[in-house]
Amino acid sequence: MIPLNAGQKMVAFIDSFLICLYRITGDPILDYFLGTFLLSFLTVVVGEFTISIGFRANKPYLDQLNNDMQKMSSLSREAQRLGDEEGYKACNKEGNDAFGRLFFHRFGLAAASLWPVFLALAWMQSRFHGIDFPLAWPLSVVFRNGAGYVFTFIPLYILCRILFKYMRPWLPYFRGVQKLLDAGK
Amino acid sequence: MKREVKWMLRLAAALAVFSFLVAGPAYSQDAATGQATVAAAGNPAPVGNDLGLQGKLGKAIAKAPAGQGKGEIDVNAPRGAFGIPGAPKINYVLAVLWAIWVGWIFSTVGAFGGIMAGVGHMTIYGLGDYAKGFKDTVPELNKTLTDSIRTSNQFLVGLSALISTINYLKSKRLAWPLGIALGLGSIAGAIFIPMLTGGKISFRQYQGWFGVFVFVVGFVLLYELTPRGQKGKKAAKAAAQAFEKSVKEKRDIGNQGVALKEFGFTRSTFTFFGTDFRFNPIWAFFGGAVIAAISSFLGVGGGFLYVPYLTSIVGAPMYVVAGTSAMAVLVSMITSIAGYITVAKAGMDWTLIGIELVGVFVGSMIGPRTQKYIPDKWLKILFIVLALYVGLKYFSQGFFGHSWVP
Repeated sequence: MIPLNAGQKMVAFIDSFLICLYRITGDPILDYFLGTFLLSFLTVVVGEFTISIGFRANKPYLDQLNNDMQKMSSLSREAQRLGDEEGYKACNKEGNDAFGRLFFHRFGLAAASLWPVFLALAWMQSRFHGIDFPLAWPLSVVFRNGAGYVFTFIPLYILCRILFKYMRPWLPYFRGVQKLLDAGK
Repeated sequence: MKREVKWMLRLAAALAVFSFLVAGPAYSQDAATGQATVAAAGNPAPVGNDLGLQGKLGKAIAKAPAGQGKGEIDVNAPRGAFGIPGAPKINYVLAVLWAIWVGWIFSTVGAFGGIMAGVGHMTIYGLGDYAKGFKDTVPELNKTLTDSIRTSNQFLVGLSALISTINYLKSKRLAWPLGIALGLGSIAGAIFIPMLTGGKISFRQYQGWFGVFVFVVGFVLLYELTPRGQKGKKAAKAAAQAFEKSVKEKRDIGNQGVALKEFGFTRSTFTFFGTDFRFNPIWAFFGGAVIAAISSFLGVGGGFLYVPYLTSIVGAPMYVVAGTSAMAVLVSMITSIAGYITVAKAGMDWTLIGIELVGVFVGSMIGPRTQKYIPDKWLKILFIVLALYVGLKYFSQGFFGHSWVP
């Protein structure tokens, strides 16, 4: 038997818990989609919790970057309106710097919400790789081999994200985060 | 005392980065595979089966010679990266530490992060050296692993674009007419490259071109430090400040958004805030295609290229450039990643990406707190040195077979 590496051991450790999500009704197709939906929801919750930590910690910095960019954006618009080409280019250039920092800092927050997705995909790869669902025309023209675990997980994840957005104001802890987000708007 | 602390921090950061670059590959590899042992004489028998690995990776593994030498698969060895027996066991602690560094760069410099992520995949985790080992024995495996490395790079870049695009859409800061033209071009570029190059580019070729790109980035940063570059930057800052002072009228930006005024294949106009902006959709399409092709091929560079293209060549204002370029990067990355996974059948190590995202998050949290201790100029100097070192190393390794620097 080939020994497992650290990543595979980690995936195996949570396997016993996650597979329970796929054994609820007894019907294999229904269980697959229900289990994937529950797994997606779990990744949303864990990701939202992680991002809330980052958001709380770095809110003043994000607000500053946003303000800098807004200021330069407003000025460049004004310069354009007044026909000041030099001022327009200068404000754009300054805005570029603030934009770069803000763009990539947001990625850090994005990473916070998305890291559970990839661990979930790693687990699904170990269980469902090679299991493809045939698709109806015209999707079958593009996805000739059918849809695998990645392309079944992603739509359900998006659905869970939308559901969570509406549930957030009523969930403990997350309703506090929602208030913080609303205060910043 | 405060000045000494600042210099100690700067020196520690530089030493940490260079020690990673030099020692990282050694820590990331298993002792058996880390040594470049000569393959057994004669023609060892092929592995003969895919060892449970799917797609092109499994097929390439089946053709690989079985054995313990370089370019061979030891079927009894522990599974490493991508589930391949004997492949480098990626040290996840090292992966997190490097990802923290990438996240730190993302949040402090606002550029160069994708390149550092690529360096991690290629050098720090030892995947590049492992892929190169199969250049002569199983070129197909070399190229399949290269595709997996390219796709891994693109995931990190694409994810940042995803979140940014959603945010800019919500705040109506997307010039959608320009974005559509750019996006269609980027789709073309991002489909074309995986089809044309998927499974055909050896790791050395990829490494060489990555090195060339890093050189270009390094020289752009170097130019910004020269008296001429500094003069331009100071002039821009002064002009912006002067203009800010001269603005007397305050306007309510309210809910004003982007509206398409006229559309033509060679000239289109959109307005926002009462101002017209004209652009040539054909130029936007071709610009998007070229930039997407470059970033799809390398796995990095979308943001670095789209933003100056939109501000300098298309002349779009910053207000919409940010969101529009994020959308173009997102479209091209989704297309490219889907292409590599479905057309080129690149295998993915999801656990590695998940762990990297944890590190990037931590690094992004640390960045704002250290920024006040490290001036921009010193950061730029550090990255110029890194860019020239990495560029030279990869360029020489890729195109000449050996590194010109240690």
